[in-house]
Amino acid sequence: MSVEFSIYQGSSRSLKKALLATSTQGNLARDALDRINVRALNGLNLDIENGDRLALIGPNGAGKSTLLKVLAGIYEPTQGRVMASGKVSAILDASVGLNPDATGRENIILRGMYMDIHPREMRAHADEVAEFTDLGHYLDMPVRTYSAGMMIRLAFAITTCIPPEILVMDEWLTAGDAHFLGKAQQRMAEFVRGSSILVLASHSMELLEQWCNRGIFLDQGRVVAMGGIKDVIAAYKRHIDAPHPPARAAAVS
Amino acid sequence: MLNIGELAPAPSRTTQAAADVVEGLDKSWLWMALAVQDIKLRYRGSILGPFWITVSTAVMVGVMGVLYARLFRAEVAVYLPFLTVGLVVWQFVSTVITEGCSTFLAVQGIIHQVRMPFSLHAYRLVYRNLLVLAHNLAIVPIVLVIFGAPLDWRVITVLPAFLLLAVNAVWVSMLFGMVSARFRDVPPIVMSFLQVAFFVTPIFWSPDLLGVWKPLAELNPLFAAIDVVRAPLLGVAPATYSWLVLVMTTMVGGCASFALFARFRSRIAFWV
Repeated sequence: MSVEFSIYQGSSRSLKKALLATSTQGNLARDALDRINVRALNGLNLDIENGDRLALIGPNGAGKSTLLKVLAGIYEPTQGRVMASGKVSAILDASVGLNPDATGRENIILRGMYMDIHPREMRAHADEVAEFTDLGHYLDMPVRTYSAGMMIRLAFAITTCIPPEILVMDEWLTAGDAHFLGKAQQRMAEFVRGSSILVLASHSMELLEQWCNRGIFLDQGRVVAMGGIKDVIAAYKRHIDAPHPPARAAAVS
Repeated sequence: MLNIGELAPAPSRTTQAAADVVEGLDKSWLWMALAVQDIKLRYRGSILGPFWITVSTAVMVGVMGVLYARLFRAEVAVYLPFLTVGLVVWQFVSTVITEGCSTFLAVQGIIHQVRMPFSLHAYRLVYRNLLVLAHNLAIVPIVLVIFGAPLDWRVITVLPAFLLLAVNAVWVSMLFGMVSARFRDVPPIVMSFLQVAFFVTPIFWSPDLLGVWKPLAELNPLFAAIDVVRAPLLGVAPATYSWLVLVMTTMVGGCASFALFARFRSRIAFWV
């Protein structure tokens, strides 16, 4: 499975220039059709079983967030496919769908809508979510008054109020405090016992070792190592310590 | 289970596009709730709320009505209802076209965070504009009663007319939304075109004034869209080809929009 991004520069975003280029056989406004293609993910093949907790490890720009987005169904692969035999719930950004001027409680219903949960159904879960967040009376205040950590607690509580079948999370989650992370891990351990799948990207090796059983080390879109979590973390540490040339964008044509 | 790699081929693009359109329709509770929220947010803090547009339309109708009735040497009692309905429907049509350019651009954040059928964003836009249209229509019965419009059974045809306008609004927002996501200079081009269209389409002037050129103006799909709503409300028959033009526009536009959607649906997330 591969994902290729076309980088559209200013001129290639112009319809007028694109039409001009076609009509003058590319002599005029050549830059209109010049695009750089970047292969964000290259030749990925893996199978994740029920009950697996997969860690995504790699330097910045390796393709971790792109892979999470592909799993969440946001990007379609340019080559290959992702087949999920269950619903994928993704928390990639704490604040998506939140209305900053609405209260925490109102946002629970709102965020639930983006997760395809009807307000009626969400109201039944609202108390349980409120309790998990530990936000107390802050839930009646507008969300724009919240700190980043509080938003993460809210987003996580909402996204996991119904046990997800496949949960995909990006690294921001690890910005939560230790008490919250403990609760979060406990909740996720319950899901996984119920044979859910977890895919998590993070830079915190301690957290990943605690939460995950398998790992995949990505660098510049390719798989460098894949296997048990301890082995993959070791491979990553070796990679950081060894001297290597600076990263180039994996340009294609 | 999650399988990633070179697997059995995915269903055809057309099937996936059709599934997207159906999935969007299925989630009607979601786009309706989001559209209502859009309107609440837009008018939060304003006293009149969405009726602000109704008031500004009323003012425009009042001023233009009196002035242009004089310019066209028409009776105010006949011209004012003609102008009111024309302006109200044009506002719907032109806003749908303008906002349609931002169908996907406006929800960039959501497209990059949550998987949703793309058609859902179009339905939300259309429903939101239908709600605004409903507020604007409030002024029409008032004008019709004041000037004693001769209504007859034909008024019922307004309902299928609105339905057809709504269907057209959907394919317009999908098509323009996609093209604008890829080519960022499209929204200003569309706005320039709409400014010209406002004068070239018989919205505030009657096509009868054109004499020999009348059929040209009547073949304009924008005119057809307005005519099928306006004529029944004025108690007259719509122009000969209005319904035909509108139905053809719906079919051709709908097919073109769907074809483009099938081909490029998977690229939209990369374009916005």
